[in-house]
Amino acid sequence: MALNLNCPICGPRSGYEFRFGGEDKGPRPAEEGATTALWLAYAHLNRNVAGVQREWWCHKDGCGTWFRVCRDTVTNCEVPTVDTL
Amino acid sequence: MLKRSTQPKRLWRSAPLKPAYDAVVIGGGLHGLAAAYFLASRHGMQDVAVIEKRYIGYGGAGRNTAIVRANQRTSENVPLYKEALDMWPRLTRELDFNLMFYNCGNLNLAHSEAALKAMRLQTATAQFHGVDSRLLTPAECKALIPALDITDRPKYPIFGGMFHPPGGIVRHDAVVWGLAKGASARGVHIHQDTAVTGIEVQRGKVAAVQTSRGRIATPRVLNAAGAYAAALADHLLDIRLPISVLTIQAMVTQPLKPLLDHVISSGGYHIYANQTLKGEIATGAHMDRWPNYTTGTSAYYIKHQAEALTDLLPCLQGVKFMRTWAGLADMTPDMAPIMSGNDPVQGYYQDCGWGYFGFKSCAAAGKYMAQYMTTGTCPEILAPFDPGRFAAHRLMGETAALVNYSADN
Amino acid sequence: MERLKHLPTLRIAARQPITLRFNGRTLAGCAGDTVATLLYGSGERIFGRSLKYHRPRGLYSLDGECSNAMMTIDGMPNLNAELTPAREGMRVEPQNVMGSLKWDLLGGLDHLAFAMPAGFFYKTLHKPSWLWPRAVKGIRRAAGLGVLHPEARFDQRCDAIYPNVDVCVVGGGPAGLSAALAAAEEGLRVALLEARPRLGGFCDYRVRADAQGKPLHQWAAALADQVRARDNIRVFTDAPVVGAYPDGRVAAFQRGGPEDAFDLRYIEITAAGAVVATGCIERPLLFAHNDRPGVMQMGCAHRLLHTYGIRPAADAVFSVAHDLGLEAAIDLHDQGVTVHCVADARTDGQDPLLIAALEQRGIPLRRGWVAHTAHGRSRLRAVTLGTPAGTFRQRIACELLVASAGLTPLTGLVTMAGGQVKYDPRTGFFLPVRLPPNMQACGRLRGLHDPAALAADGTLAGLRAAEGLGCRPQRKIAAAEAALAAAPGAPRGSKWLAAPGKGAKTFICFDEDGTLKHLHQAMAQGFDVPELIKRFTAIGTGPGQGGIPGHNLPLLVAAGQASPASDPMPTTVRPPLVAAPIAAYAGGRHDMAKRTPMHDAQVAAGGRMERVGEWFRARRFGTDPGAAAEIMAVRTNVGLLDASTLGKFRVFGPDALKALQRVYVGDMARTRPFRTTYAAMCNEDGCVIDDGVVIRTGDNDFYITTSTGRAAQTVEWFRYHTRYDGWDYHIVNLTDAHGVINIAGPNARKVLEAMTADDVANTAFPFAACRDLTLAGGIPARAMRLGFVGELSYELHVPASCMETAWRMAEAAGAPFGIAPFGLEAQNTLRMEKGHVILGSESEQRTVLHDLGLGFLWCRTKPEAKTVGALALRDTADQPGRLKLVGFKMETPGDGPPRDGSPVVNGRIRGYVCTARHSHALGEPVGMALVEEELARGGTRLGIYEDGCGGRLRYGTVAPMPFYDPEGTRMRI
Repeated sequence: MALNLNCPICGPRSGYEFRFGGEDKGPRPAEEGATTALWLAYAHLNRNVAGVQREWWCHKDGCGTWFRVCRDTVTNCEVPTVDTL
Repeated sequence: MLKRSTQPKRLWRSAPLKPAYDAVVIGGGLHGLAAAYFLASRHGMQDVAVIEKRYIGYGGAGRNTAIVRANQRTSENVPLYKEALDMWPRLTRELDFNLMFYNCGNLNLAHSEAALKAMRLQTATAQFHGVDSRLLTPAECKALIPALDITDRPKYPIFGGMFHPPGGIVRHDAVVWGLAKGASARGVHIHQDTAVTGIEVQRGKVAAVQTSRGRIATPRVLNAAGAYAAALADHLLDIRLPISVLTIQAMVTQPLKPLLDHVISSGGYHIYANQTLKGEIATGAHMDRWPNYTTGTSAYYIKHQAEALTDLLPCLQGVKFMRTWAGLADMTPDMAPIMSGNDPVQGYYQDCGWGYFGFKSCAAAGKYMAQYMTTGTCPEILAPFDPGRFAAHRLMGETAALVNYSADN
Repeated sequence: MERLKHLPTLRIAARQPITLRFNGRTLAGCAGDTVATLLYGSGERIFGRSLKYHRPRGLYSLDGECSNAMMTIDGMPNLNAELTPAREGMRVEPQNVMGSLKWDLLGGLDHLAFAMPAGFFYKTLHKPSWLWPRAVKGIRRAAGLGVLHPEARFDQRCDAIYPNVDVCVVGGGPAGLSAALAAAEEGLRVALLEARPRLGGFCDYRVRADAQGKPLHQWAAALADQVRARDNIRVFTDAPVVGAYPDGRVAAFQRGGPEDAFDLRYIEITAAGAVVATGCIERPLLFAHNDRPGVMQMGCAHRLLHTYGIRPAADAVFSVAHDLGLEAAIDLHDQGVTVHCVADARTDGQDPLLIAALEQRGIPLRRGWVAHTAHGRSRLRAVTLGTPAGTFRQRIACELLVASAGLTPLTGLVTMAGGQVKYDPRTGFFLPVRLPPNMQACGRLRGLHDPAALAADGTLAGLRAAEGLGCRPQRKIAAAEAALAAAPGAPRGSKWLAAPGKGAKTFICFDEDGTLKHLHQAMAQGFDVPELIKRFTAIGTGPGQGGIPGHNLPLLVAAGQASPASDPMPTTVRPPLVAAPIAAYAGGRHDMAKRTPMHDAQVAAGGRMERVGEWFRARRFGTDPGAAAEIMAVRTNVGLLDASTLGKFRVFGPDALKALQRVYVGDMARTRPFRTTYAAMCNEDGCVIDDGVVIRTGDNDFYITTSTGRAAQTVEWFRYHTRYDGWDYHIVNLTDAHGVINIAGPNARKVLEAMTADDVANTAFPFAACRDLTLAGGIPARAMRLGFVGELSYELHVPASCMETAWRMAEAAGAPFGIAPFGLEAQNTLRMEKGHVILGSESEQRTVLHDLGLGFLWCRTKPEAKTVGALALRDTADQPGRLKLVGFKMETPGDGPPRDGSPVVNGRIRGYVCTARHSHALGEPVGMALVEEELARGGTRLGIYEDGCGGRLRYGTVAPMPFYDPEGTRMRI
């Protein structure tokens, strides 16, 4: 479906030039003492928000940068960064 | 047959929302309706409600391209899909509603030696389980589908194929309406335009379902909300699932006289095509690789579909696309579904994560989920689909390839 | 038929005759004709037969709004004659006909229609159960329209262009032209798309005067001339738009003429702003037998006359509901058609000037009257008109009935792009109420009709689009707003739906033979949403793209609903708006693949090239599927492999080591300068996703290789897994910059010695070392001694520009030994004999590092690195019940190796064969399989179930790996 994203380097481009990199779950958990449950949550579990979520994208067919954006999954539009997420 | 038709009756009744039901099914799609139907018809459950936010068949049920088959990759999956496939003629009889199962067989094409090897595993696995499936040479593929280009010209030349005669297509809308008709006739209440807003849990057990039209007391609830199941589980019960909801687009051409006598599909091109009984060629396949809940289409997708289709079936170049649409697929990391119950909440059952396989399996999944919900014990055939497999690092193997809709893979 | 020759609006060249063959007869028309107008002008009245009931159908519209005029033209089925320009010598055949157009053998189906209610197929033919599988064959044959030959080829020239513009205007009528001009005058780059061959829209064929007394067609032509004169407006005519998307893209396809370099081209416009001025089509009038040949829309009759010079009939009756219908009646009368009567569904609201003109010509106008029934079968013979309830009726004999319930705006692009429409009771239209960002709508689409209003509205839309892009045309906007306010507003529209009655022969949808009765039946069964009715009755799902039923269906549904308070809900319009040939979407050549510098040389040497990811690689040389000669050459002599597709990267910077520690499971701190370290990357699941070598080439500087398939994703992967860390390192993809030659076999050193003056003796350049060599002629080569195929082997990484020279040098140096290239098949057997895995072949998504016996590659003592996959590797290190990779030999070696992919069976399926080949070195078949752990012990008997074996298993025995040279001495010589 139609999507445009604002690459911090290349500006607004077609969504098909990017790779989705998952919900923003924060830095990798420390390996020492990590439980399987923690691993599962980090590696696989998603909130699947129907609304605004912060997520990672890579401009794979362009500059190659990974960056975070906030996107409304219901309208598929990028929205200004929301700090409360 | 040729009697003058009188004014027909409603296929399913509308009923008032009762304050209590024996079971509540969230989602008026194929899996929800099937579970409700089997709860009422096989387990004598008198009071079952199906809660649907829009209208029945709004979601994936009405948007898929209706292909059915049973040649899955693993021993855990084949029996379930085989049973589902065998059920179409029986369900047609039982529901007295023509589901229009067209048993034309499915031809899957290989475009590399690696793909042929994968097909050999799939074919032999099917044969081992008594499911008819066989490997074909390119010439044999062409004999089945004369429109195929088996020369070296295409981007991915055809190395061979896997033919699965018992498969075919079923009229997807008919399944929705037939199940609704059958369920309704057996006392199931179908509540459309009704949204589930909460699940009440008391002492670890399901107590009630909150809806936009009031509270329903119930000891068991099935989450069969399709693409929305994962968000619902998170939102209502704080259960997170290893699911990504992706868009998959499909399209049909203008109707033609019979050209494709079988369903064809190709992993290399990410494409399938089959000719509906109306003569349209229905085609689609690859997914847009980012989660979202829109069912929008894109110029990019239809163009890429056209490139692939004309490479594989060059005679279609002059044929016209007539309509394109999109649906949502709830994908798990191993492309196998999640069916479980009573964990972590007693009386909460879930049937989701079907990705784009939810149509073929709905009858069997509904049947066994109904059994699960009645007895409280997981039927053996469903045991492998417990989401515990992800934590245990035991992915199902239903796909060999790394799925790359998330950069984690 | 003689054409009218002196009309100012004619768009044909009467002096350039064109003939085509229709149904075996030669018919004549002239340049500018479409196939449909040529046929109609030649007296043809039946164009085709309907899908279900085989009813005769004729010319109804001229814009391809239904399948009536779909024909097979020059062998290509389903071409709409209304949209296909007539060309000399075309062969045109009607479709869906048994017998002749006039005497269709299946025409009798029409009389059985009563037995086929809505949802007919859902309720019949499934009892008894043997019936359906038989019936389905007949249904398939009866369904579908044209016949397509499986070997048919489309010989048109296809192209694709992707213009970027500031404003994209869709629609070349007065509003669209005005919008384009207004935006262009602000200095913006504008694209204007028009579906018809000419600009001007619905004014192109009208002779009525505007307020200044200028004929409308002249006024529109003047606007079009202004547009064409502007350098910053790119005009695409004959270019119907198929979709507008929320990402600002507008897709169209254009038909090219003989002077163009294409016959069909895909146009995908990326625009910062869009103006939709798509105007209106007609809302069909519903009455009994409204589909008879001889019933046509007002625009169709009007354009036949004015654009094509064809008098549509000798006499006509009109049943319309819009001033355009009155205008058409007047124009037809003025060109010699006897107009018996004009029935107007509206009781008032007509333009007084038109009423006066009708009176002046003696044409009776019946206000509030509508057509009830069309009489005649293959040709219209008479019409019954009457008051809505049928209290008063009159039957009038006539040849033509011009029928229309008014107009309906084409809002599909607005909703498709994310806007919303709402029913407007005044106009009776679904009007845009919410537009997507950066989109404007104007003109007839908004219910306007008066030329001055259209021009002002278009100008305003163009200016607003410009404003959205940062222009400041405030004064012009104010002026346009004032002009719009001064012009007549949207006229009231007719609400007429259909005369009372069952409507068994009142067709809502021509394509699917869907009637009013079907609609009522569907609603009675509980289908009360237009979308569901579409699915249940198929109304609106035919090739006309919903053009005929699109507006009537929601109105009828709303009228039939229990709660009349609710607004009519429009049906969803889906792209493509206009049926578009798949070839038009596909465009020209679109296959992209990479070739290594040695591609042609390998082809010349007999290489069978295959796609491996984005590359072409040689599978084998010659025809032997097992590539025995290539294998033996490597084992006993020397061979040459083009391994240029390997991923090659430089990773450097202060934090380079940290990055490597993150993605490689081994301890990269232990890598030594110019030593190759075999290393693996896993994903979070512990599944091996890549393997290759890591070489430390300097302080904080590493050279790494990856498999061919992962090369494209490696940079992304490194950056993804270090995205939160802010580390200072760089990774550069050198895959295409370096070619790789692998020289392998016992004589490899002798070949290399002849290529370089550097010392490559075993002492100076031992196994697993890496050396930067200089080849003859000064070619720099990074050489590594690796053992993938299990022999003495050198992998030479040379600049891609020197690759061919180096390859030729190796061939010359190896000539005394008879060096020959080998391919992937040989490499596959050679490495398998050594027990080396190929990821994706010996592993799959659920295979973790430990399962492959490669657990030793994982260093568990570097938790601070937070290595990707480490947690899963920790959990699975000793986990029971996993699939394990084993080697096996066959009990009866003479039967050859089992086929790759065959399941391993022991009561149930417990694994499968990954790769099995005949080993020339061992003289027997060997293989590798992934099996359940209980079967993985040496000596275990494995039952192998090959496809088609009918249950007769073959047996193998688990054997130790490597099969060949287990001590690894041969690669160290």
